[in-house]
Amino acid sequence: MQEPWTDERIVAAAAQLLPSRDDVGRIHRDTSDFFKVTYGDVALLGNRAFLVGHNAKEGRFGIDDEVKHWVKRCIDLEDGSRKIVKLVFYEKFKASIASLSFDCFRSPRKEARILDLVAGHDQFMHGYWVKDDAGNIVRIIDYIYGSTLHAMIQDLSMDHETYYHETLPEILNNYIRCVEAIGFLHHHREKHGDIRRDHIIIDRETGHYRWIDFDFNYMHRENMFAYDMFGLGNIFMFILGKGDALLGDLKRNRPEVLDRLTEDDLNIVFHNRVANLKKVYPYVCEPLNRISLHFSMGAEIFYEHTGQLLADLNEAREALGQGERE
Amino acid sequence: MIQPFDRLIHNILIGVDESENSRRAVSYVGKLLGGLPRFNLILLHIINEPEEDFFADDAERNRWMVEKQEIAERAVDAAKAVLVGEGFAPERIFPLIKVRYCPSIAECILHEAEASQSETIVIGRKGVSRKEEFLFGSVSNRIIHQAKDCTVWVVE
Repeated sequence: MQEPWTDERIVAAAAQLLPSRDDVGRIHRDTSDFFKVTYGDVALLGNRAFLVGHNAKEGRFGIDDEVKHWVKRCIDLEDGSRKIVKLVFYEKFKASIASLSFDCFRSPRKEARILDLVAGHDQFMHGYWVKDDAGNIVRIIDYIYGSTLHAMIQDLSMDHETYYHETLPEILNNYIRCVEAIGFLHHHREKHGDIRRDHIIIDRETGHYRWIDFDFNYMHRENMFAYDMFGLGNIFMFILGKGDALLGDLKRNRPEVLDRLTEDDLNIVFHNRVANLKKVYPYVCEPLNRISLHFSMGAEIFYEHTGQLLADLNEAREALGQGERE
Repeated sequence: MIQPFDRLIHNILIGVDESENSRRAVSYVGKLLGGLPRFNLILLHIINEPEEDFFADDAERNRWMVEKQEIAERAVDAAKAVLVGEGFAPERIFPLIKVRYCPSIAECILHEAEASQSETIVIGRKGVSRKEEFLFGSVSNRIIHQAKDCTVWVVE
């Protein structure tokens, strides 16, 4: 039987992790005003007490980190484990990508639902949810130790050709598992909603690539999964190119490549990125490049669901393996 | 009352919303067929109900529904006025406002076409760019590809 968390017990346990007993802040049972839940406070949620540390931050590809005031880094006072505690923040806004705007929103309910759905699945973050005293759906996420896919690839120092032959096959295997995992969500009529290369964390302990952050959603139009497919495509091109193949970089470092490129070779949404990567890296095998071309301005057809992408990925992975053996 | 089993009557379903492409589709049908008997016109407006996550609470959902219902009624009334002006008998025009969660709007339209035994579907083409089609899909393209046992008119 778990000992109940009285105020006295909370203060005593929190004080052991802070410089002194005086540093223990307020105890929150209602987390509606997440700005008031600050460093040194304790959130009592579902009869577990969480010592609040700093707010989480999220950077985006070189842009300064943005503080997420509703996401708290915490320590579970019961067992000392690190948790990410996500308080309720409803947000609706117009997102804009390459001059196209669409409605987006943040939903604690969606994330809670998906946490239940993916419990035990290797390719997702894990956690559970509870309602605080005000009925807010608070998500308590297990902390994953590891770096993002974005950071891992950015930190690789080898040249592209070495990367392509030696490192890409294993990354591609993991990417395929990530796509299968998104297919699992779609099969259950759920979108990820915010597919980005920094929303995959490579678990240092298990090596699994794990999707994080499911609270984002968008108002879909004809194809409810199209925006997720767009995200998967961007990650694929990032993996294949060992980073984005940017026109600006090519102009500076390899201007001769620009002469080979046409408009059709560019990313269908981000026109400053090259999708036809074989023109940049000639040793890229055809099946892999064909996948990339599905996300180019010259694409005749688009992937509508993960099944189509996976069929091509598996074929390409096999071709890449054969190339390695030759 | 729609008369689906009268083979002398041809049911035409027109996709109606507040957009310019929808107005073009309605106008086209009016000018082409106005004054002719033997047609029932079903003016379908789908209110694509967002997922439950979209609303913070029921009050917000109710406000959203009232607003969308008003928009739908205005669009359907305006379409009906155009068609009557082109010579269709008012009793041959059937407004149909459906509130549905639509993973695919095209599939919802096709479902309603089948339910109303419509032999022709008329939709306006929005004219989405390739980029837009890639990010969001295209209703008219999917209808063209998936429609069975009916004719599809896509009005540019």
